[in-house]
Amino acid sequence: MAQTSIAKRLDETLVEPKRPGFGGGEPPPGLPQTPIGNNVWLAIVVFLGAEAMFFAGLMGAYIVFRVGAAVWPPPFQPRLPVGVTGVNTVFLLASAATIRVALRAARRGDGTHLVRWLGLTAILGTVFLAVQGYEWLRLIQFGLTVSSSVYGGLFYTLIGFHALHVFGALVWLMVVFTLARRGRYAKDRYLGVQTCAMYWTFVVALWPALYGLVYLY
Amino acid sequence: MVNEMKLKILSILPYAGLALMLAPALAHACAVCWTGDGDPTADAFNWSVLFLMATPYTVVGSIAGWLFYKHRRAAAKPTEEAASQPALHLNWNEEESGR
Repeated sequence: MAQTSIAKRLDETLVEPKRPGFGGGEPPPGLPQTPIGNNVWLAIVVFLGAEAMFFAGLMGAYIVFRVGAAVWPPPFQPRLPVGVTGVNTVFLLASAATIRVALRAARRGDGTHLVRWLGLTAILGTVFLAVQGYEWLRLIQFGLTVSSSVYGGLFYTLIGFHALHVFGALVWLMVVFTLARRGRYAKDRYLGVQTCAMYWTFVVALWPALYGLVYLY
Repeated sequence: MVNEMKLKILSILPYAGLALMLAPALAHACAVCWTGDGDPTADAFNWSVLFLMATPYTVVGSIAGWLFYKHRRAAAKPTEEAASQPALHLNWNEEESGR
Protein backbone atom coordinates (compact mmCIF):
# COMPACT_ATOMS: atom_id res chain seq x y z
CA MET A 1 0.00 0.00 0.00
CA ALA A 2 2.76 2.37 1.01
CA GLN A 3 4.84 1.38 -2.02
CA THR A 4 1.92 2.09 -4.39
CA SER A 5 1.42 5.51 -2.86
CA ILE A 6 5.13 6.38 -3.24
CA ALA A 7 5.11 5.21 -6.87
CA LYS A 8 2.02 7.31 -7.59
CA ARG A 9 3.63 10.41 -6.08
CA LEU A 10 6.83 9.81 -8.05
CA ASP A 11 4.79 9.61 -11.26
CA GLU A 12 3.06 12.87 -10.43
CA THR A 13 6.37 14.54 -9.66
CA LEU A 14 8.04 13.38 -12.85
CA VAL A 15 5.29 14.77 -15.08
CA GLU A 16 6.46 18.14 -16.48
CA PRO A 17 4.36 21.08 -15.32
CA LYS A 18 2.11 22.66 -17.96
CA ARG A 19 3.23 26.11 -19.13
CA PRO A 20 0.63 28.71 -20.01
CA GLY A 21 0.48 30.25 -23.50
CA PHE A 22 2.23 29.03 -26.65
CA GLY A 23 -0.93 27.49 -28.08
CA GLY A 24 -0.29 24.40 -30.18
CA GLY A 25 1.69 22.48 -27.62
CA GLU A 26 5.04 22.77 -25.94
CA PRO A 27 7.74 24.80 -27.73
CA PRO A 28 10.82 22.89 -28.85
CA PRO A 29 13.61 22.74 -26.25
CA GLY A 30 16.09 25.58 -26.27
CA LEU A 31 13.62 28.28 -27.26
CA PRO A 32 12.70 31.00 -24.76
CA GLN A 33 9.62 30.24 -22.67
CA THR A 34 8.68 33.88 -22.28
CA PRO A 35 8.09 36.52 -25.01
CA ILE A 36 10.99 38.98 -25.34
CA GLY A 37 8.70 42.00 -25.44
CA ASN A 38 5.12 43.06 -25.91
CA ASN A 39 3.24 44.96 -28.60
CA VAL A 40 3.40 48.34 -26.84
CA TRP A 41 7.15 47.99 -26.36
CA LEU A 42 7.57 47.09 -30.04
CA ALA A 43 5.39 50.02 -31.13
CA ILE A 44 7.54 52.43 -29.12
CA VAL A 45 10.72 50.96 -30.64
CA VAL A 46 9.35 51.46 -34.18
CA PHE A 47 8.17 54.97 -33.30
CA LEU A 48 11.61 55.87 -31.94
CA GLY A 49 13.20 54.50 -35.12
CA ALA A 50 10.96 56.82 -37.18
CA GLU A 51 11.83 59.73 -34.87
CA ALA A 52 15.54 59.01 -35.31
CA MET A 53 15.13 59.15 -39.09
CA PHE A 54 13.22 62.42 -38.82
CA PHE A 55 16.06 64.03 -36.88
CA ALA A 56 18.62 62.44 -39.23
CA GLY A 57 16.91 64.26 -42.12
CA LEU A 58 17.12 67.60 -40.31
CA MET A 59 20.76 66.97 -39.36
CA GLY A 60 21.55 66.01 -42.96
CA ALA A 61 20.14 69.35 -44.14
CA TYR A 62 22.20 71.14 -41.48
CA ILE A 63 25.38 69.33 -42.61
CA VAL A 64 24.81 70.46 -46.23
CA PHE A 65 24.66 74.13 -45.25
CA ARG A 66 27.31 73.92 -42.52
CA VAL A 67 29.99 72.09 -44.54
CA GLY A 68 29.15 74.03 -47.71
CA ALA A 69 29.50 77.44 -46.04
CA ALA A 70 32.82 79.27 -46.35
CA VAL A 71 32.22 81.18 -43.09
CA TRP A 72 30.15 79.80 -40.22
CA PRO A 73 28.33 81.36 -38.43
CA PRO A 74 27.59 83.85 -41.20
CA PRO A 75 28.83 87.43 -40.66
CA PHE A 76 26.74 89.75 -38.43
CA GLN A 77 25.00 86.82 -36.78
CA PRO A 78 25.22 86.26 -32.99
CA ARG A 79 27.25 83.37 -31.57
CA LEU A 80 25.40 80.60 -29.76
CA PRO A 81 25.66 80.33 -25.94
CA VAL A 82 27.94 77.29 -25.82
CA GLY A 83 28.80 77.45 -22.07
CA VAL A 84 25.28 77.86 -20.68
CA THR A 85 23.92 75.21 -23.01
CA GLY A 86 26.78 72.90 -21.95
CA VAL A 87 25.70 73.20 -18.31
CA ASN A 88 22.10 72.71 -19.44
CA THR A 89 23.21 69.52 -21.20
CA VAL A 90 24.43 68.17 -17.85
CA PHE A 91 20.93 68.74 -16.40
CA LEU A 92 19.34 66.82 -19.25
CA LEU A 93 21.84 63.95 -19.03
CA ALA A 94 21.20 63.76 -15.27
CA SER A 95 17.48 63.36 -16.01
CA ALA A 96 18.27 60.20 -18.02
CA ALA A 97 19.94 58.76 -14.92
CA THR A 98 17.04 59.71 -12.63
CA ILE A 99 14.45 58.09 -14.89
CA ARG A 100 16.50 54.87 -14.92
CA VAL A 101 16.42 54.90 -11.10
CA ALA A 102 12.64 55.51 -11.27
CA LEU A 103 12.25 52.54 -13.61
CA ARG A 104 14.22 50.33 -11.22
CA ALA A 105 11.93 51.46 -8.40
CA ALA A 106 8.91 50.56 -10.55
CA ARG A 107 10.38 47.08 -11.19
CA ARG A 108 10.79 46.60 -7.45
CA GLY A 109 7.25 47.82 -6.85
CA ASP A 110 8.60 50.69 -4.72
CA GLY A 111 5.93 53.36 -5.27
CA THR A 112 7.48 56.00 -2.97
CA HIS A 113 10.82 56.02 -4.76
CA LEU A 114 9.11 55.82 -8.15
CA VAL A 115 7.16 59.04 -7.49
CA ARG A 116 10.24 60.75 -6.03
CA TRP A 117 12.55 59.97 -8.98
CA LEU A 118 9.88 60.71 -11.59
CA GLY A 119 9.37 64.09 -9.93
CA LEU A 120 13.09 64.80 -9.97
CA THR A 121 13.25 63.86 -13.67
CA ALA A 122 10.39 66.24 -14.41
CA ILE A 123 12.16 69.05 -12.53
CA LEU A 124 15.40 68.49 -14.48
CA GLY A 125 13.47 68.45 -17.78
CA THR A 126 11.67 71.66 -16.85
CA VAL A 127 14.98 73.35 -15.96
CA PHE A 128 16.39 72.33 -19.34
CA LEU A 129 13.40 73.75 -21.20
CA ALA A 130 13.37 76.95 -19.12
CA VAL A 131 17.05 77.66 -19.78
CA GLN A 132 16.58 76.89 -23.49
CA GLY A 133 13.63 79.28 -23.64
CA TYR A 134 15.58 82.02 -21.86
CA GLU A 135 18.54 81.60 -24.26
CA TRP A 136 16.20 81.71 -27.24
CA LEU A 137 14.73 85.00 -26.03
CA ARG A 138 18.24 86.44 -25.73
CA LEU A 139 19.19 85.22 -29.22
CA ILE A 140 16.06 86.80 -30.70
CA GLN A 141 16.99 90.07 -28.97
CA PHE A 142 20.45 89.82 -30.56
CA GLY A 143 18.82 89.46 -33.98
CA LEU A 144 18.90 85.72 -34.59
CA THR A 145 15.46 84.81 -35.91
CA VAL A 146 14.08 82.12 -38.21
CA SER A 147 14.06 84.55 -41.14
CA SER A 148 17.33 86.37 -40.37
CA SER A 149 19.47 83.82 -42.26
CA VAL A 150 19.85 80.14 -43.12
CA TYR A 151 21.85 79.90 -39.89
CA GLY A 152 18.87 81.11 -37.82
CA GLY A 153 16.40 79.00 -39.76
CA LEU A 154 18.42 75.81 -39.27
CA PHE A 155 19.10 76.55 -35.61
CA TYR A 156 15.46 77.13 -34.68
CA THR A 157 14.22 74.20 -36.78
CA LEU A 158 16.67 71.65 -35.40
CA ILE A 159 16.84 72.80 -31.79
CA GLY A 160 13.17 73.82 -31.83
CA PHE A 161 11.99 70.37 -32.84
CA HIS A 162 14.12 68.85 -30.11
CA ALA A 163 12.66 71.26 -27.54
CA LEU A 164 9.18 70.32 -28.79
CA HIS A 165 10.02 66.66 -28.22
CA VAL A 166 11.32 67.38 -24.72
CA PHE A 167 8.07 69.24 -24.01
CA GLY A 168 6.03 66.27 -25.29
CA ALA A 169 8.10 63.89 -23.18
CA LEU A 170 7.59 66.15 -20.17
CA VAL A 171 3.80 66.08 -20.62
CA TRP A 172 3.94 62.27 -20.87
CA LEU A 173 6.15 62.16 -17.78
CA MET A 174 3.67 64.31 -15.82
CA VAL A 175 0.84 61.92 -16.75
CA VAL A 176 2.94 58.95 -15.57
CA PHE A 177 3.90 60.87 -12.43
CA THR A 178 0.21 61.56 -11.62
CA LEU A 179 -0.71 57.91 -12.21
CA ALA A 180 2.22 56.78 -10.04
CA ARG A 181 1.01 59.03 -7.22
CA ARG A 182 -2.39 57.36 -7.48
CA GLY A 183 -0.71 53.97 -7.15
CA ARG A 184 -1.52 52.71 -10.64
CA TYR A 185 1.81 50.91 -11.04
CA ALA A 186 2.94 47.72 -9.35
CA LYS A 187 5.83 45.27 -9.45
CA ASP A 188 4.29 43.33 -12.35
CA ARG A 189 2.48 46.33 -13.96
CA TYR A 190 4.82 49.16 -14.92
CA LEU A 191 4.61 49.27 -18.74
CA GLY A 192 3.55 52.95 -18.65
CA VAL A 193 6.72 53.87 -16.76
CA GLN A 194 8.86 51.69 -19.04
CA THR A 195 7.60 53.22 -22.31
CA CYS A 196 7.85 56.75 -20.93
CA ALA A 197 11.43 56.02 -19.81
CA MET A 198 12.26 54.73 -23.30
CA TYR A 199 10.99 57.92 -24.94
CA TRP A 200 12.69 60.16 -22.39
CA THR A 201 16.01 58.32 -22.82
CA PHE A 202 15.73 58.73 -26.59
CA VAL A 203 15.12 62.47 -26.31
CA VAL A 204 18.07 62.82 -23.92
CA ALA A 205 20.39 60.64 -26.03
CA LEU A 206 19.59 62.76 -29.07
CA TRP A 207 20.65 66.01 -27.44
CA PRO A 208 24.47 65.48 -27.22
CA ALA A 209 24.50 64.77 -30.98
CA LEU A 210 22.56 67.98 -31.69
CA TYR A 211 24.63 70.01 -29.24
CA GLY A 212 27.87 68.76 -30.80
CA LEU A 213 26.67 69.46 -34.34
CA VAL A 214 24.97 72.83 -33.88
CA TYR A 215 26.87 74.42 -30.96
CA LEU A 216 30.38 72.92 -31.11
CA TYR A 217 31.05 72.05 -34.77
CA MET B 1 -7.36 72.74 -84.35
CA VAL B 2 -6.68 71.35 -80.89
CA ASN B 3 -5.04 68.27 -82.38
CA GLU B 4 -2.70 70.46 -84.43
CA MET B 5 -1.64 72.33 -81.29
CA LYS B 6 -0.99 69.07 -79.50
CA LEU B 7 1.08 67.82 -82.41
CA LYS B 8 3.15 71.03 -82.40
CA ILE B 9 3.82 70.75 -78.68
CA LEU B 10 4.76 67.08 -79.00
CA SER B 11 7.14 67.86 -81.86
CA ILE B 12 8.88 70.57 -79.78
CA LEU B 13 9.34 68.34 -76.70
CA PRO B 14 12.21 66.18 -78.09
CA TYR B 15 14.16 69.33 -79.02
CA ALA B 16 13.56 70.80 -75.60
CA GLY B 17 14.76 67.56 -73.99
CA LEU B 18 17.86 67.53 -76.19
CA ALA B 19 18.61 71.14 -75.28
CA LEU B 20 18.39 70.28 -71.55
CA MET B 21 20.77 67.35 -72.02
CA LEU B 22 23.27 69.49 -73.92
CA ALA B 23 23.13 72.35 -71.44
CA PRO B 24 22.44 70.79 -68.01
CA ALA B 25 24.35 73.45 -66.13
CA LEU B 26 21.92 76.07 -67.38
CA ALA B 27 19.02 73.85 -66.39
CA HIS B 28 20.42 73.42 -62.84
CA ALA B 29 19.73 69.72 -63.23
CA CYS B 30 22.08 68.68 -60.45
CA ALA B 31 23.35 70.63 -57.48
CA VAL B 32 26.76 68.94 -57.25
CA CYS B 33 27.63 67.66 -60.73
CA TRP B 34 29.16 70.98 -61.82
CA THR B 35 31.36 71.58 -58.82
CA GLY B 36 35.05 70.75 -58.96
CA ASP B 37 37.11 68.50 -56.71
CA GLY B 38 37.38 69.84 -53.18
CA ASP B 39 34.50 72.22 -53.67
CA PRO B 40 32.72 72.86 -50.32
CA THR B 41 29.28 72.23 -51.88
CA ALA B 42 30.34 68.80 -53.14
CA ASP B 43 31.93 67.98 -49.78
CA ALA B 44 28.79 69.12 -47.97
CA PHE B 45 26.54 66.90 -50.06
CA ASN B 46 28.96 63.98 -49.74
CA TRP B 47 29.02 64.17 -45.95
CA SER B 48 25.27 64.62 -45.77
CA VAL B 49 24.68 61.61 -48.05
CA LEU B 50 27.08 59.48 -46.01
CA PHE B 51 25.37 60.51 -42.77
CA LEU B 52 21.88 59.82 -44.11
CA MET B 53 23.05 56.51 -45.58
CA ALA B 54 24.56 55.36 -42.28
CA THR B 55 21.59 56.36 -40.09
CA PRO B 56 19.06 53.67 -41.16
CA TYR B 57 21.70 50.97 -40.73
CA THR B 58 22.52 52.31 -37.27
CA VAL B 59 18.84 52.50 -36.25
CA VAL B 60 17.86 49.08 -37.60
CA GLY B 61 21.12 47.54 -36.33
CA SER B 62 20.53 48.93 -32.85
CA ILE B 63 16.95 47.59 -32.74
CA ALA B 64 18.04 44.18 -34.09
CA GLY B 65 20.94 44.05 -31.62
CA TRP B 66 18.66 44.88 -28.72
CA LEU B 67 16.09 42.26 -29.79
CA PHE B 68 18.89 39.67 -30.12
CA TYR B 69 20.18 40.56 -26.65
CA LYS B 70 16.66 40.26 -25.17
CA HIS B 71 16.14 36.94 -26.99
CA ARG B 72 19.42 35.52 -25.64
CA ARG B 73 18.55 36.69 -22.13
CA ALA B 74 15.05 35.21 -22.34
CA ALA B 75 16.49 31.94 -23.71
CA ALA B 76 18.99 31.72 -20.86
CA LYS B 77 16.38 32.35 -18.15
CA PRO B 78 14.53 28.98 -18.10
CA THR B 79 17.85 27.12 -18.20
CA GLU B 80 19.04 28.96 -15.09
CA GLU B 81 15.76 28.28 -13.35
CA ALA B 82 15.88 24.61 -14.28
CA ALA B 83 19.45 24.31 -13.03
CA SER B 84 18.49 25.74 -9.66
CA GLN B 85 15.54 23.35 -9.29
CA PRO B 86 16.05 19.78 -8.03
CA ALA B 87 15.29 17.13 -10.63
CA LEU B 88 12.99 15.29 -8.22
CA HIS B 89 11.06 16.53 -5.21
CA LEU B 90 11.29 13.78 -2.59
CA ASN B 91 9.89 14.77 0.75
CA TRP B 92 10.20 12.60 3.82
CA ASN B 93 6.77 11.46 4.83
CA GLU B 94 6.22 9.91 8.20
CA GLU B 95 3.26 7.89 7.01
CA GLU B 96 5.07 6.40 4.08
CA SER B 97 8.44 5.92 5.75
CA GLY B 98 7.31 2.73 7.44
CA ARG B 99 8.79 3.78 10.78
